[in-house]
Amino acid sequence: MNLLKSYLLPRIAQWVITVFIGITVTFIIPRLIPGDPVERTLSSLGSLQTLDPRAVESLKEALADLYGLDGTQFDQYINFWKRLFKGDLGPSLSAFPTPVIEIIAKGLPWTVGLLTTSTLISWSLGIALGTLAGYSPKRLWWQIVDKAFISIYPIPHYILALILVMVFSYYFPIFPLVGGASGKPTLSWTYISSIFEHSLLPATSLIVLSTAFRFIMAKALTTTVAGSDYVGYAETAGLSKWRIVLFYVIQNTMLPQVTDLGLSLGAVFSGALIIEIVFSYPGIGYSLYMGVFQADFNLILGITIFSIVGIATAALIVDLSYPLLDPRVRYK
Amino acid sequence: MKILRDLFKHHLAFRAGAVIVLLVFLLVSLSFFSPYEATERRVVPKNQAPSLNHILGTTALGQDVFWLLTFAIRNSLMVAGLAVLIGRSIAVLLGSFSGYMGGGVDKVLQSIVDSFIVIPRLPLLILISVIVKGGLNLWGLALLLGFLDIFWPSKRYRSQILSLREREFTYTAVFSGMNTFNIILKEHFPFFIPYLLADAVSGFLWAIGMEITLAILGLCDLTRPTIGTMIYWGNYYQALLSQRLWVLAAPVIGSIFIVVAFYLISTSLSEYLDPRTRLKRLGASQ
Amino acid sequence: MKIRFDIISWLIVVGLSSVLSLGCKDQPGTTETTSSSSTKSQLPVDVPRQDVFVVDQIFRYSIVENFNLWMPGPPSPTRQGLIMDTLWYIDQETGEPINALASRPPVYNEDFTQMTVKLRSGVYWSDGVEFTADDLVFTVNNLKSHLGMNWSTELDLFVKKVEKLDDYTVVFDLNLPNPRFHYYFEVRYNAVWMQPKHIWQEVEDPMTFKFNPLVSLGAYEYADADPAGYWELFKRRDDWQRTTAGMLTEKEGPPYIMTIFYGGSERKAIAMARHELDLFMNVDYEAFQAVLQKTPTARSWYKSFPWAYPNELNGRYFGFNLGQDTVLNNKQVRWALTLALDIVDLQTEYIGGVARVTAIPQPATPRLMELYHDPLDEWLKSFQIEIEEGQFYHPYDDSVTERIANWAKTQEYNVPTDASKLRLMFGTGWWKHDLKVAERLLLNNGFTRNANGQWLKPDGKLWTISMIVAPDEVDIYRLAIGAQDQWADFGLKLELETLQRDPYSTRNYMGEFEAISSWGNATSGDATADKWQSIFGLHSRFYTPVGKSTAGSGSSNTLRIKSKEMDSIIDELDRLHPEDQRVVELGQAFMKLWIENMYSIVTISFKKFVTTDEHYWTGFPTSENPFIQPLYWFGGGRFTLQHVEPVSQIAPNR
Repeated sequence: MNLLKSYLLPRIAQWVITVFIGITVTFIIPRLIPGDPVERTLSSLGSLQTLDPRAVESLKEALADLYGLDGTQFDQYINFWKRLFKGDLGPSLSAFPTPVIEIIAKGLPWTVGLLTTSTLISWSLGIALGTLAGYSPKRLWWQIVDKAFISIYPIPHYILALILVMVFSYYFPIFPLVGGASGKPTLSWTYISSIFEHSLLPATSLIVLSTAFRFIMAKALTTTVAGSDYVGYAETAGLSKWRIVLFYVIQNTMLPQVTDLGLSLGAVFSGALIIEIVFSYPGIGYSLYMGVFQADFNLILGITIFSIVGIATAALIVDLSYPLLDPRVRYK
Repeated sequence: MKILRDLFKHHLAFRAGAVIVLLVFLLVSLSFFSPYEATERRVVPKNQAPSLNHILGTTALGQDVFWLLTFAIRNSLMVAGLAVLIGRSIAVLLGSFSGYMGGGVDKVLQSIVDSFIVIPRLPLLILISVIVKGGLNLWGLALLLGFLDIFWPSKRYRSQILSLREREFTYTAVFSGMNTFNIILKEHFPFFIPYLLADAVSGFLWAIGMEITLAILGLCDLTRPTIGTMIYWGNYYQALLSQRLWVLAAPVIGSIFIVVAFYLISTSLSEYLDPRTRLKRLGASQ
Repeated sequence: MKIRFDIISWLIVVGLSSVLSLGCKDQPGTTETTSSSSTKSQLPVDVPRQDVFVVDQIFRYSIVENFNLWMPGPPSPTRQGLIMDTLWYIDQETGEPINALASRPPVYNEDFTQMTVKLRSGVYWSDGVEFTADDLVFTVNNLKSHLGMNWSTELDLFVKKVEKLDDYTVVFDLNLPNPRFHYYFEVRYNAVWMQPKHIWQEVEDPMTFKFNPLVSLGAYEYADADPAGYWELFKRRDDWQRTTAGMLTEKEGPPYIMTIFYGGSERKAIAMARHELDLFMNVDYEAFQAVLQKTPTARSWYKSFPWAYPNELNGRYFGFNLGQDTVLNNKQVRWALTLALDIVDLQTEYIGGVARVTAIPQPATPRLMELYHDPLDEWLKSFQIEIEEGQFYHPYDDSVTERIANWAKTQEYNVPTDASKLRLMFGTGWWKHDLKVAERLLLNNGFTRNANGQWLKPDGKLWTISMIVAPDEVDIYRLAIGAQDQWADFGLKLELETLQRDPYSTRNYMGEFEAISSWGNATSGDATADKWQSIFGLHSRFYTPVGKSTAGSGSSNTLRIKSKEMDSIIDELDRLHPEDQRVVELGQAFMKLWIENMYSIVTISFKKFVTTDEHYWTGFPTSENPFIQPLYWFGGGRFTLQHVEPVSQIAPNR
């Protein structure tokens, strides 16, 4: 009970404050974009058809009315929270009147699916390899792995992705060029395998790079721990190498790694823009990107809310689970 | 100076790293002696593969890739270096202050940090670049990248400090009457610095990566050569499709070398600074 | 020992990666051997490859399965051509008017306050209901009463009353005289699309209505779409003969048309090499060369150099912000900048020789050259500018075409020898490259040179011009760097500010630039003699001051020109029927005015590498057979796509 009062409640209050400030900031910043959404709509209309200037003024008024952008910024802000509590993110302004939630629902599963899977894979792989390499850094094999990861790590994601596309969809046209799956969504093997087939290249590009990052971090952490007294004692006590790695090394390097994992998982909601551009993979990143250029406040905010809540919640969970992971940290 | 000499003597990785860094700086300083201006075009034949005349080949606009690279690395090092310096130094202060103070201060600071962490960075960068109407020059970019790279690392540093704070040797030190400052300096930093250095390298890379991403999206000043804009223009003139790989290979391999060099130096430094390995080494050399 | 470890491991890493990268470099021929060997198509739909014509979708759609194209939203070209229809079209290649849902051209009364439309009979919606006057009347009234929908405020402004006389006759009574009222129903890119009354009259809120299931008036109907917006599939209607596209072409078209958004140029080139793309709108020059190399069955408008389609009705220009008080607000300075440009070098070294030059603000297409460029030739040759008081100079140079042709010969391209054919290939002529006269013009206006030969402004400060440009608009960027290089040789520093496309157009509309490399406005044209569409928005009554967006005022005057002469030309033109004799004269008067003031430096006409792969499909228009516009993404593309037919024999698997 005391724990609840002294730790849990304040931490949850902190979560609420974080989310509130984050959303408020994201409400304000897009409104600084020069030119308003109505002008964006008019200019994209005007770039394709000749708008009669004699009728533009009234079209402008009609659109401003439709988009609900009348009233002061503060009114809009209050309205936004009212709507949000009803679960309504409002209409997209660049694709009026499509509800923002509909656009998000179409893209989000792809983004979250791809990024979660590849984050988990690269996290485990990176830590496993990095810890082993850090624990026995003199082995030739680990030297090679080490050098390979160090060399891969600085490659820009865009370049790696482009090379994968060139090699595996052009020179050897094995993988599909566009989309996330073939055919209608069903529970059939063909559909599921097509999801796998489409995601393989994008996932590879993500996994390779973030495994490299994870590897380097894990190796650095392990090196410090491997030289510490307790590992020394364990070695003197003749414990098996695997035991030492698992129970002494990994356990002691886990804390920052779990923090990072939590935050990376929370961040999957912000999308993978480069992946979508290079692999033509579905997702939410491109919608957000276009939303920025179209000054589509509602869409930017709608997508970002997921990200804000996602990361904040991940951080909350990580914080709450610190004591479980590292017995030395106690709730205070 | 003595440290450097020691390092150079005893550490191969440091030697290798130092040599590469030296080469990089040589390359950067060569940019001041370039026979061409950074933005000049049509000064050499177009689309030439690497040869004795143009050791890294030429671009589709008749620029010499080698000389272009000297400018690009200079600018990118400047942007990324500045960003890391700004971002990480504030992050270290913030993270360790928050971690050591604990209690109310920690809570308030963490709320602020969290509020910024939860806003995704790439969209925020894109947003800001649109708000400033594309007027983001190299300095502005460095500042912005530095600012955006404070919060997440500070959180990592804080948890590292938290974990150090709870270790046995801290208590031992406290009981033996060491003051806080000394504890931090003598007991914690040797553990913290290796992590910080590895992390700073990753921050450096993040800054280079973001610069590249923004360039690829066409959102930063594309007229100044940087690693990002070299890739952008290489790609713009279809270097991959037309199989003129040298245009892209130069900036990519360049950035690999830079990062590897910093990595080697950072690992050897951290190994050197680690109190236990230092003892061992001293024992061995005597 | 340790040294060796390090070196060995590095060597292995470096070795492996170089093998990998060489691996991709040394595979130039592989696509041809592997791509067509598998019969399994990797298209995301389950339709036999031979039955589907795959077309480049220009945008990734943010909303799918919503066919309410009457709401302002993200553009969705090709859709409109396949499933929508309206009264008239102008073929953008031939300039021919096409009566589609209308059976004849509009008839106006004397003072242009009434327009009568005769409709075609026997055209059916895809649900089997006939299209009649009721639909037209309903559409107009429906849009009129829902302000905010496309064309709503225009129809509201002009239409007093719309009535049907019988099932195939409709009369519009107008609030104001308007000899161009029918333009709202005549497609260049799009126009007021018809709504089926029997569906829409039941709809409570036409703005949120998704029009799904779709009832199509085109020859195709919706079949499937990617929820992520990357592709859409359309199926030919069984009763395609009861649509205007079917009736007018008497061709059945492919059983399926699929549009796919592949992304950048390199991805389209890859897709075409894999035979997963049969037709694309455009790629950049380098990607196009790769297409030619990798896909032997692919071709653009011309079979060989200069390949690209040159007749899209638009042009490129260097513009100056005339709403700001700078040295550029002086026509002699703008003339000096013009004469410091070398068009032959621009058109060849920067554009690859694949576009027509044009000195006047009108695209140089075969038809418009007949109407404007050729008649203005004599005037251009005798046209003079005043350098100093009493000193006149002829700036026009008609040898440009020939010099471009000579360049082409040095590149070992085959070009015609006949002068008139060369004009058709490279345009009519441009301004001289005369640095001496440019220099005199500047000196006369108080400019001076410093010791390094750089120009100083009359106030003694170093002269630099800042120009905004969007690199993803390939031609305007390449022209801009050309100008940068050439003006640098003249001692003038041009600073380019590279912007992403959207911030770029915002800055353009707001007038927040000193100079701009751009396209459109006065340089765009219609396939007919009428210049009204592209210049009406330049009238000073719509003038928008710097800092306010022209998008919000409807003005097309992004350069902030103010001219009484221009106003009077526009006013007179506005009162004339587009087929009036005087229309061409006024268009020419406008162009002369433009040139005398050098409001913007017009350089080249549009070119697009519209490319088809004739591996599965053929029948697309080409320069040898220019019977119809290849602009398939325009509303009129419906007729073009109808002509596409399967090749008699698919090339055997190589």
